[in-house]
Amino acid sequence: MPGLDEVSEIKSDGLRTAARHPVPRGEPILEMRSLQKKYGAVEALKPASITFLSGEIHAIVGENGAGKSTLIKLLTGVIRRTSGEIFWCGKPVQLDNPQEAIARGINAVHQEVVLCPHLSVAANMFLGDEINSAGLMRKRAMTEAAQGVLDDLGFNLPAAATLGSLTIGQQQLVATARAAMRGTQFLIFDEPTAYLTRQESAQLFRLIRRLQGEGVTIVYISHRMEEVFELADRVSVLRDGTHVGTRKIGETNDAELITLMINRTIEQIYHKEHFQAGETILETRGLSGPGFEDVSLTVRAGEIVGLYGLIGAGRSEFALGLYGRHATTSGEVYWQGRKVDIANERKAMDLGIALAPESRRDQGLCLNVPIGLNINLPIFNRLTRGLTINRQQEIENADRQIKDLKIKTPSRRVLASAMSGGNQQKIVIGKWLSHGAKLFIFDEPTVGVDVGTKAEIYRLFARLLENGAGIILISSYLPEVYELSDRLHVFRRGRLVASHDYRAASHEEVLTQAIGV
Amino acid sequence: MSAESVESGTGPAPRKGVSILFGLTLLGLLLFLWLLLGLATNSFWTPNNISNLLRQGAMTAILAVGQTFVIITAGIDLSVGAVVGFTSVIVAWLLAAGVPLWIAIILTLAFGVLIGAFHAFGIVRMGLPPFIITLATLTSLRGIGLLITNGSTISITNEAFTNFSRADFLGVPSLFWMVIVVAIPAYIFLHLSRFGRYLFAVGSNSEAARLSGVNVHRTIYLAYILSSTCAAFVGLLLASRIGIGNATQAEGWELQAIASSVIGGTSLFGAVGSVHGPLLGAFILATINNGANLLNVNSFWQRIITGVLIIVIVYFDQLRRRGAR
Repeated sequence: MPGLDEVSEIKSDGLRTAARHPVPRGEPILEMRSLQKKYGAVEALKPASITFLSGEIHAIVGENGAGKSTLIKLLTGVIRRTSGEIFWCGKPVQLDNPQEAIARGINAVHQEVVLCPHLSVAANMFLGDEINSAGLMRKRAMTEAAQGVLDDLGFNLPAAATLGSLTIGQQQLVATARAAMRGTQFLIFDEPTAYLTRQESAQLFRLIRRLQGEGVTIVYISHRMEEVFELADRVSVLRDGTHVGTRKIGETNDAELITLMINRTIEQIYHKEHFQAGETILETRGLSGPGFEDVSLTVRAGEIVGLYGLIGAGRSEFALGLYGRHATTSGEVYWQGRKVDIANERKAMDLGIALAPESRRDQGLCLNVPIGLNINLPIFNRLTRGLTINRQQEIENADRQIKDLKIKTPSRRVLASAMSGGNQQKIVIGKWLSHGAKLFIFDEPTVGVDVGTKAEIYRLFARLLENGAGIILISSYLPEVYELSDRLHVFRRGRLVASHDYRAASHEEVLTQAIGV
Repeated sequence: MSAESVESGTGPAPRKGVSILFGLTLLGLLLFLWLLLGLATNSFWTPNNISNLLRQGAMTAILAVGQTFVIITAGIDLSVGAVVGFTSVIVAWLLAAGVPLWIAIILTLAFGVLIGAFHAFGIVRMGLPPFIITLATLTSLRGIGLLITNGSTISITNEAFTNFSRADFLGVPSLFWMVIVVAIPAYIFLHLSRFGRYLFAVGSNSEAARLSGVNVHRTIYLAYILSSTCAAFVGLLLASRIGIGNATQAEGWELQAIASSVIGGTSLFGAVGSVHGPLLGAFILATINNGANLLNVNSFWQRIITGVLIIVIVYFDQLRRRGAR
């Protein structure tokens, strides 16, 4: 393994310092004992005891909001535990800051890459640990060493390139290589394949197995069952902040894991009511714009039209184009049979289109203002009497949405940032229920939302349909769009490549069309 | 991403209560300073000094209110001091040219509107950061003012105009009445009208505001126009008070305005602010300057004290915010 050795020679003092706590393979390296994390009154992680064995690949599965991210943050020292203990190599440790975690050899590779996009790949790999001589950085030496590591790992990436010029998948590989060359003992992967192509995933898996071969303990967080069964030795399941069990991979199957994860059958979650489809609300003909091309589809009253595809397949772009956020370049939009030109968001809203966008944080919510302001934001012009806002109506509407949607807050004056993912999504929905619409576009409505809220959201869909609205549901989570859509369209690379009626195609068929093998 | 947002659904205290509490703390600080100075000096609680104090604080207070609108949108207006100097020149120049007083006043305020619109244009259409575009006008406006006056000052002979700043109404200096004239509509605008709500929404997340049908561009125009118009109004008051138009006047007032706003609880990250906060902030600063003069403290110390005060108050405000999470 010339690459890694070379690096450790160059920086024999800086790298691999954490290798001073060797634990024999198969012995506990990190133990959580009744580890608990509370945010105010909300228990993000209920007291959990999980033991990680040296040199194993330990998968952690759970729905969004099950407490996986909290667990990673506790183990990497990003947040402090509320109670419980952590034992590292048999000794109790504080682990309350990231520096301590890194010094002990605990590292994480995050789903979203947290590196500097303007620096080169090599500079990122050596960030904070640069090779110096006489106070000057040895840029060429670093680039060569980094290239050695990358080549050795079989990544075929240029070390001199700017990180930002790589795909997100490639950046993820760089982040992994960075962790690998820092003498990591305990490496956590947080849903690493979410943005990777198949080939990149395969490269990553090879790397993970190789690190395992070198004695590194791997924690692999995912909700893709097939990956868990391909990689892991053992698997722990989290549900709503509770550790519900740990299994050896040979002694379980995906049906058992899914039951553990969601504690109910698929039918109970994916609440689906079928309504007689009414008039056509929306029709697009050959609509093209930034990120999508030649999309033709119709939405009728009382039906859910699902858009499935991988991230970046052009579904959200289509939604934003339709909504007037981005100008469309060609094609036509018909609203209730009439040709319309939706030039901006206000126009879309006035027609009766509502958009709950993909990212609550970036597009959906004003986080550091009160919940009430968010809920009323689209309707302040309606609430205005003369110069000022009708306070009474403003308060009534906010409180009504909070009550109807069961948003868990003591008051409409609490900041939106203080809410959990599920409650935040309800605020976004409340905003559009205040305004009212004929066509609701929900883009990834259940990401980061707990199972209970998910079921509530699906029931709400049925209520909207019952009242004669139509829904466009965008999701990257196949079971969701598959079970809920009256008509399912598959997107790939900005185009609509296939369409199916309710449950007319198999999961595999839809997935294959989305990936395009 | 889910876990860090899984924060308390019941923990944080309702926001309005906190904001009132903070306002009361500031008011308490102001009264405390007045009490202290009353005990420490014989001359503080004299009608003359109080009038003086109210006059000193008035102009910064009006600037700070305008500045606050901009800061709530997560922007900054560095040009307000220069606008004050520039518009003092404009009004003096118009009066010297024989323009009737009320037309001169309207034209001067119109300049404020134009300057604000130009700032918003630079931000919205040219994509310039607020810091840059207002820094550019800061230096340019001083230059234009100096060009107009050829580096000197223009005297104002209109007595009706210059007497105004010395006049009292109901025993209170007319300059202080101007604060009230600005503050009441400002309060209605920011706290009671939908445009105020839009300022907060845009400052918090302009993309979310936009997708909710808020006209983000119009909101930004509004904020910068209001800030510059407040500054032009202060330009009129200053010209009236010193009886001249001079482009180099009001040097550094933009920093006084920003400091008042920040002391008054406005967050430079946007989406947090009020009308009463910057008013109190401005009078706290004025009191410190006034008190330091009365106590014969070296005027250099005043600057140091002001700096320390900004750090202390904003630090406590940060602690409070973190505590609320």
